[in-house]
Amino acid sequence: MNHSAQSLQTAIQQIEQIILGKSHQIRLALACLLARGHLLIEDLPGVGKTTLAHVLARTLGLQFARIQFTSDMLPADILGVSVYHRDSSEFRFHPGPVFAQMILADEVNRATPKAQSALLEAMEEHQVTIEGTTHLLPAPFFVIATQNPSFQIGTFPLPESQLDRFLMRIQLGYPDASAERGLLEGRDRREIIATLAPQLTPADLQTLQQQVAKIHVSPALLDYLQAILRHTRESAQYVHGLSPRAGIAMLAASRAWALLQGRSAVLPEDVQAVLPGVVGHRLQGTRDNSLTRGDKLAMELIEAVKIP
Amino acid sequence: MMSPLRQQFRNWAFRRNPEAGPIVLNQRRIYILPTRQGLFFGFVLALMLLGDINYNLSLGYVLTFLLATTGALSMLYAFRNMAQLQVTAGRAEPVFAGEQASFILHFHNDTDLPRHQLVLHARDGHQTTFDLPARQASAIAFRIPATRRGWLASGQLGLYTEFPLGLFHAWSYLHFEQYCLVYPQPAAASPLPAATALHGTGMHSQEGDEDFAGLRNYQPGDALPRIAWKTLAREQEPQVKKFSANQGSERWLDWSLLPAAGDERKLELLARQVLDASAAQLHYGLRLPEAELPPDSSPAHRDACLKALALHGLDHTPPAVRRQADTSGQHLAARIAAWAGRKLRTPSAGKSQ
Amino acid sequence: MGWQKIAHSFRREIAMKPAPHQVYGIIAALFMVCLPHAEHLPHWVSAVCSFLLIWRFHLAWTGNALPSRWLLISFTVAASAGIAVSFHTLFGRDAGVTLLVLLSSLKLMELRTARDANVVIFLACFIIITNFFYSQSIPTALFMLVTLLAILNGWLAMQASALAWRARLRMAAIMLLQAMPLTLLLFVLFPRVQGPLWGMPQDAWAQSGLSDTMSPGSMSKLSLSDAVAFRVSFDGPPPPQQLLYWRGPVLWDFEGTTWKRGQALLTTVHDLQQVSMPVDYTVTLEPHDKNWLFALDMPTSADVPSRISGDFQLLSRTSVTTRLRYRVHSQLGFQANTEESPALLQRALRLPAAGNPQSRNLAATWRRKLGNDAAIIHAAEQMFHNEGYTYTLEPPLLGNDSVDDFLFHSRKGFCEHYASAFVFLMRAAGIPARVVTGYQGGEYNDLGQYFIVRQSDAHAWSEVWLAGQGWQRVDPTATISPARISTGLSAAVPGSEALPFAARYRSPWLLKLRFNLDLFNYRWNQWVLGYDKERQFAFLTRLGMEEVTWQKMALNLLAGVGILVALFSLLILKRLYAGPRDPAVRLYRRFCRKLARHGYARSDHEGPMDYASRASAALPHKADAIQDITRRYLSIRYESRSDPENLRALRHAVAAFKL
Repeated sequence: MNHSAQSLQTAIQQIEQIILGKSHQIRLALACLLARGHLLIEDLPGVGKTTLAHVLARTLGLQFARIQFTSDMLPADILGVSVYHRDSSEFRFHPGPVFAQMILADEVNRATPKAQSALLEAMEEHQVTIEGTTHLLPAPFFVIATQNPSFQIGTFPLPESQLDRFLMRIQLGYPDASAERGLLEGRDRREIIATLAPQLTPADLQTLQQQVAKIHVSPALLDYLQAILRHTRESAQYVHGLSPRAGIAMLAASRAWALLQGRSAVLPEDVQAVLPGVVGHRLQGTRDNSLTRGDKLAMELIEAVKIP
Repeated sequence: MMSPLRQQFRNWAFRRNPEAGPIVLNQRRIYILPTRQGLFFGFVLALMLLGDINYNLSLGYVLTFLLATTGALSMLYAFRNMAQLQVTAGRAEPVFAGEQASFILHFHNDTDLPRHQLVLHARDGHQTTFDLPARQASAIAFRIPATRRGWLASGQLGLYTEFPLGLFHAWSYLHFEQYCLVYPQPAAASPLPAATALHGTGMHSQEGDEDFAGLRNYQPGDALPRIAWKTLAREQEPQVKKFSANQGSERWLDWSLLPAAGDERKLELLARQVLDASAAQLHYGLRLPEAELPPDSSPAHRDACLKALALHGLDHTPPAVRRQADTSGQHLAARIAAWAGRKLRTPSAGKSQ
Repeated sequence: MGWQKIAHSFRREIAMKPAPHQVYGIIAALFMVCLPHAEHLPHWVSAVCSFLLIWRFHLAWTGNALPSRWLLISFTVAASAGIAVSFHTLFGRDAGVTLLVLLSSLKLMELRTARDANVVIFLACFIIITNFFYSQSIPTALFMLVTLLAILNGWLAMQASALAWRARLRMAAIMLLQAMPLTLLLFVLFPRVQGPLWGMPQDAWAQSGLSDTMSPGSMSKLSLSDAVAFRVSFDGPPPPQQLLYWRGPVLWDFEGTTWKRGQALLTTVHDLQQVSMPVDYTVTLEPHDKNWLFALDMPTSADVPSRISGDFQLLSRTSVTTRLRYRVHSQLGFQANTEESPALLQRALRLPAAGNPQSRNLAATWRRKLGNDAAIIHAAEQMFHNEGYTYTLEPPLLGNDSVDDFLFHSRKGFCEHYASAFVFLMRAAGIPARVVTGYQGGEYNDLGQYFIVRQSDAHAWSEVWLAGQGWQRVDPTATISPARISTGLSAAVPGSEALPFAARYRSPWLLKLRFNLDLFNYRWNQWVLGYDKERQFAFLTRLGMEEVTWQKMALNLLAGVGILVALFSLLILKRLYAGPRDPAVRLYRRFCRKLARHGYARSDHEGPMDYASRASAALPHKADAIQDITRRYLSIRYESRSDPENLRALRHAVAAFKL
């Protein structure tokens, strides 16, 4: 096991000490990061979304910015503006908060679609174009967006096309009893975060990201992936089948998960582990009842597709 | 084609409940009987055999046996032409009453054998013929006329083949829980109701964040990103970009405001109005006795409105889903938790190196 | 016609118009079926059928409408009338076949639905079988296969129009090939019933071969035919060629030009003295619709129901209408009927009241001068030998006094001329004599070690009765052309004369090829065409079935059919249930089945590692083996390390895995 992989394991342990009882979600978030994707967390306030983002940024040694989305937000509030300087008689670009290695886009569904798409386009392109000038975003660049699950008045839920830009959507959920006890007994999380030492450098992270791309994928596994895609496209349970982009996302996430598990090749289990995260927000059930949440559909999908 | 008595017998003998999952056509699902033509062929063979015996035609025996064996082989071929096909029910896009509902069935042929001349047919005689190449999945659309709004079930479909020689009829039944949503047939033409004005006028502008609507003078307290820096370079006074949210006009397509008519007629009128409003990209809402859909102009909204019309007074979930809904959902959380837990217990068990 | 009615009831069901390429398939099939019949159909029928086929092809090609029903009906009536005029009947073999061919061609003209096409296809099958009335040779059989291919091709075209013709032909060929083993089994084991079940048409069989009369030209006409008369295999070494006189009808009565068998003999006494050179042999006789069985001079017994006539002809109880095999015992050295009845001797001296005065004179002169019978015979032989007589297939025509004409003017003749003239002279000289017809010699096939006797070997010779010696064979042809008797016809006649191919060429390799072909034909006749009840019983006994009975045969047939059907079902359905192609997956599934037997089945969507953890937890004592197999499998399947070594290791591990 090489240096960066070792540091990764240490990093995971460090995060797990702060975010108690959420080992699976932490790994999913890391897999998302390693697969160069962005993460959407859909959960209630107070379950630790911000803390997770903070800890991740801190442990991975990433520069961190938080954007609180509001309804009166403008694209320029996110991307930055060119400000005219009288003394030098020129425009100077004032980068917005998006110019950070890790961004927490909090309550992204509170902003208008315009502001949302400004962020999402930046996510997709890894660059920002303002007044004809293109500004590259830092690398690595990782967005964790949070969204309130309940439909409230005055929110703009992300449209399907925008959801597709997030590699994964996860839920943190309530901690279990022992984790809760740990939280209650432990010190204030913020204090701990401040003391955390970075376990990885951005360079390490990029090495790991390169390693992810090299994880072996056998024809048998591709058969499995295709069987999954085909099933979603054929079954009447889903309004639409998964897009090719979803397939690519699934593969990338599976590779990252395999790396996190210390494997050199992707196994069906890796696909299954990331599947709810990757396809949960991309699938929409046709059965019109509240139980048909994305996760449930994803679980049914796993159970419906034979491993070839 | 089939006498009522025979039909009744078949209903009794081959009755199956609708199925949800994929169906694999195995020997228990495939029935084979000779066709009328096959019986006739047998008769011809018997005649030939009599001739052979009478005239002691050795080559005649050879020919007769060869034909008989080939005919018998064709039974195996017919069975093989259907066997091991996997069929799953696909989606059925909603249609308007009076149109043809198109149910998609997915046929997976995972074997090396191409299949020929399979015929899918409904009770009413509608049928479609298709081939299935080897190692491929094919989507077969099957059309059933949609006469009434609501959920249209595909019902029991028959699949048969008489390939290769037409001497044997191999068949099976496919009965899926497959439903197509049928919207009410839109009325011929119906004027849209007048826009309901919120502030006295049909169209009005409200300050918002949506669209750039011009510039105004800077007032202390304006946000920095809203200052029009470009104009600042030209003009003396700082200006601020003004944005507006275009609310447009809202129209309510209201059940209660329709002229007195039968329920179905009202639904047809409303369907027409929804389509027209959607085509004109209006901001419209739908008001039914039992539901109200807030104004919107997206295609999804149109579909939701049409669905509400289609299912007015009916149950909103297809029968099959209703049956299983109460049993399946509850253990989900437990299942996910158990499954995620299992993942975590053995995070590094599979290190293969 | 009955089939038209059937076609109507079919039309109710499927009213699908056949596409042009489907019609072509049917036309091709019908064409192939009718082709061999062209040989014996009246020319106008062939022409009409060709016209109909081409017309139908044109209609399909251009997409024009089919002719109206009235036109077809009038066509049908006209054609039937034509047949009635041509054959003077509508029944019987030839007329029936012609009618069938014509009607099926006409049916093609109203090929409107798939059902019509099926009727044509079934008719085509029937027409094939009628062709076997005319020929059942190997080429016919091969052609039948090709025709069947065409029929199946047309049939498949009707059923699966989307299939390309190549794929169709391939499929038809595969089906035929697959049908063959079962066909063979049915052929061997299907109980044979000795036909006929009902009366056979009189003209069911083509006739060739000897008749019971002889006139100038009748033998030379036969010698133009290559057809096989019979085949003979000897138990011991075959006798020399010049002793191979295959005895046929004996002709007693001369009527100016023609020799006839005359009324049946009153006596059936046949008595051989001083016999020598016994010989046993088996004859396979081609059907000739007479009750004659050919045997070497002189037969004493045969193993089929038969009798020996007073003039030593072996006669079957019934006409030989199918190929017949029989064993005969003959004595080549003999004195026959030394005590012949006076009535018969009188008959053997009878001549027409007038005619041929020159010959009578000559005979009278001999009788006067020479006195004893042997000298007279010698004198006659000497005359043939010395006075410029030639042996030819193309003798000139003879007048009313045919014997005089031949003996004193043309001096050119074939065996019938010599035999006829010789017997005439003998009778005129007062020596009882008669004409014997039959075959002489034969061609020895080294490969099969049997003789082939063809129609071209037909021969006529004479017999004289000498006191104390009985009937003795005298072959005047042998005096004129000894080569005819010792080596065969081709040596005896000039090269320019029209001999059949088989009789003419003697080049070694051609001969060898011919022998090979004939051997093949012989076996074909013996085992395929002649496979009757007796042959079937004999064959099954040889295969080890004791006491062949119908019940046993039926049981064997059922068992055999069952086994073959099972085998073929496996073969044909195998491709359906072919497991995964990856050997690693097959091994892994075996491993899963082992675990499943103990209640730890893997569900289809369960990953191998999840499964391994579950199984290990349940079976801790096997955890290592389970993990080991899973690891190997994963490595092959998902890390693409599928080299043979890994696979072998996995195979061993799975094989060793026991619960």
